[in-house]
Amino acid sequence: MVSISFLNPLSPEGKDIVRELGSFEGISQDIPELRSLVTHNPSQEIVDDKEIPSNYLELALKRMEWHIKKKHDREFNSRRYAFLSDHAITKYDVISFYLLCQAIGVKFGPNSRETRVMVEAQGDIIQERLGKLHEEESRLIVEKSLQMLLKKDRVHWTFFQELLSTRKIRLTDLILDHGELILDREDFMDCFGPKIKHRNPSSMYQLLIGDELKELIMIKMIMQETEDYIKQVHEKARVMVEPNPILLELADEVEEVLAEPMQYYGYGSGRSGGGPMKAGPLNPLAFPPCVKKALEGIKSGGRNDAIVLFMTPFVSYARLYPDVFRMNISKRISDQDPQLEVTENEVLPLIYEAAQRCVPPLFDDQPQEKVNINAKLGFGMHSTLKMEHEGETTWYTPMSCEKIKLHLPHLCRPDDVCKKIGNPLSYYNRMIWEVRNLDKEGPDSSDESSSDNTKDITTADTENSTKNDNKNTDGTNSRER
Amino acid sequence: MIMDLKPATPNERRQYYREEWDVNDVPEFIRETLTQREFGFDHIGRGPNDRYRVFQNTDYLRKFMRVRTPFAAYSSVAFYHKPRRRDGWIKAELVFDVDAKDIPIRSCGCDNVCEICLKQAKDIVHGLIDTIKGDLGLSNIYVVYSGRGYHIRVLDDIVMGMDSDVRSQIVKYLVGSDVPRSEYSSHGMKYNLEHFTIPFGYPQVFTQRVKQALLNLNLDTEIDEVSKDIKKAVIKHRELLSEDQWGLFRKEIGPVRYSRLVKGIASLNLTLVDAKVSIDLKRILRLPSSLHSGVSMKSTLIKNLETFDPFQDAVPKFVYERKD
Repeated sequence: MVSISFLNPLSPEGKDIVRELGSFEGISQDIPELRSLVTHNPSQEIVDDKEIPSNYLELALKRMEWHIKKKHDREFNSRRYAFLSDHAITKYDVISFYLLCQAIGVKFGPNSRETRVMVEAQGDIIQERLGKLHEEESRLIVEKSLQMLLKKDRVHWTFFQELLSTRKIRLTDLILDHGELILDREDFMDCFGPKIKHRNPSSMYQLLIGDELKELIMIKMIMQETEDYIKQVHEKARVMVEPNPILLELADEVEEVLAEPMQYYGYGSGRSGGGPMKAGPLNPLAFPPCVKKALEGIKSGGRNDAIVLFMTPFVSYARLYPDVFRMNISKRISDQDPQLEVTENEVLPLIYEAAQRCVPPLFDDQPQEKVNINAKLGFGMHSTLKMEHEGETTWYTPMSCEKIKLHLPHLCRPDDVCKKIGNPLSYYNRMIWEVRNLDKEGPDSSDESSSDNTKDITTADTENSTKNDNKNTDGTNSRER
Repeated sequence: MIMDLKPATPNERRQYYREEWDVNDVPEFIRETLTQREFGFDHIGRGPNDRYRVFQNTDYLRKFMRVRTPFAAYSSVAFYHKPRRRDGWIKAELVFDVDAKDIPIRSCGCDNVCEICLKQAKDIVHGLIDTIKGDLGLSNIYVVYSGRGYHIRVLDDIVMGMDSDVRSQIVKYLVGSDVPRSEYSSHGMKYNLEHFTIPFGYPQVFTQRVKQALLNLNLDTEIDEVSKDIKKAVIKHRELLSEDQWGLFRKEIGPVRYSRLVKGIASLNLTLVDAKVSIDLKRILRLPSSLHSGVSMKSTLIKNLETFDPFQDAVPKFVYERKD
């Protein structure tokens, strides 16, 4: 029988395994049993002995490597990682999970790309493992895990507040009745059975909830717990003693594994190609429809949000730091534009022009909005851009498409490219890349291609980064009804 | 009675606050949390620029209103430890703003608001409240007539601490802004279940919202990627929806065109409520009992939504005394 900790290392069973291990001593020592398990797995394909994880740390890296390669490597061969779905490795796997979380928590913190990938990898691995189990066994273990995670039979949807806030699940995915989440067959029949006409209620249950929704909730809850655990480690590490050097070393190696797709496979779909998005003059032809529309000017009512909250971050990032989401490193304007020349001469004029085209022109009756623009660029609430004020506020990242739909629905007129992206800045980067590629395909530019040997494109990370855009709805711009 | 929704003069405002308004008309849910809320005022009709006001008790509020007779009065949906600085945020009401003027598919076609679109706004409010109670299980709900539409204010503690992201998910659920999936699988087999065949949960909410939109649609309604031909077909066959004959209706429209149609409506639904109001954790909202001077109507806490009629229950006395 599969142990719950094989799916959820944070379960009490998983915690017991860690407790048994006790300390970090011997963590990098060879474990013959682990090697033997891997080599004797009948589905396992081993090309090179070096591929066999021989200790906790190597197993931890294999977990990450599997996820990254599966996602990005077109020649990915799952049989080379078959051991990851063998529940005989549970106790080693649990330890490697904790090591990963701690290494990432200590070095990168909860808002890092490393955390995001780790959390995704955990979700991915659970799904893979469930898929390899027999239906009955899988159902049983999901039921058992859910009982543990949900703590009681019936839960109010507000229990999932965190999952909803991080958009791991959508409220519209849940089947609710008077606030309670309906998962159980009997509850379903009680609540909805009498309403169902012309269909078999039992098969309707199977389709709408059945195993699928339960699995989804279980997986997302474990992902959330993983994220919370990394956060917890990070917070403890900040106030406590020096972290164990083994963790820091592991963190470095995780970083290397994660860097690999940028070097070899190309980011995102693996098909987009392209080079890192460097800062450069703006190309209005590559602007998404929402930006083009906002540039034409907005009627009173949506002016402030369109210019201050939407255009300012977009124009400044597109011009100065288009790679923000992929790099995932927060910067200040002056890191990209030390003399603020570009900001003063290119970024602000474009925003001001759009403000001028509004009906009525925005600054005519609300000149204080200039201060708000400076604040969104990171220069505090001041009427001029001065280096000494930089950092008083943060440089707002561009709003995601989802947020635009809510805040500025009249701007959102999606075209075909919009369907593939989650943030207008990704649209811009993708179009810039396409334009550049078209140029390269031209007859006179064959020599340029050799200089571009780094492959990546920025959209994948951006799509995952909707959570990254600033929470700009909760304060200074509160407007009245 | 058909009202002329014209602005109130300064004299009329004075008359209203001195002769008609009573501080006890401010709903209890606001009076009992008075000291934790920020108040804002518009004195000349150009938007509230007198903000960060705090009243230590209702008497101060009463005096302020009598003396200043504001063009408009607002109070925060948020509760603060230090409302004067909008600092120490504790929690905020969950609010849905249905403005008659901004209903995406209006049957009236008026320029501002009229009885028809106010009635339509009320129908939308009914639908939203059903979902707030029936699906989300919330119960501490107040409905306020704002002067141009309705505010639904939810004060269940269980949701008042929620962040903007959760609130935006709630808005999307309530208004039906995502087309529910229609493909489901079980034991390796794929099945098709259209939203209207599922009589509960989000698919049902979506069906209701789509129905409401289709019944009000006219040829001039602009819906993304929905041609005039489709709209004509909708109008021709929509009586089928009154009897919930969705399958037949879809067949008449054609499955491909139907899916384009519901997709377009889903995206229009996003504007059924002003989402900005719902996700803003520090917003100020028109104070119930105060005068909406732009249209000379009282913002009114509604006791019974069924029987509430803005043209009966929200008209200040001075309007009846007008000579022209």
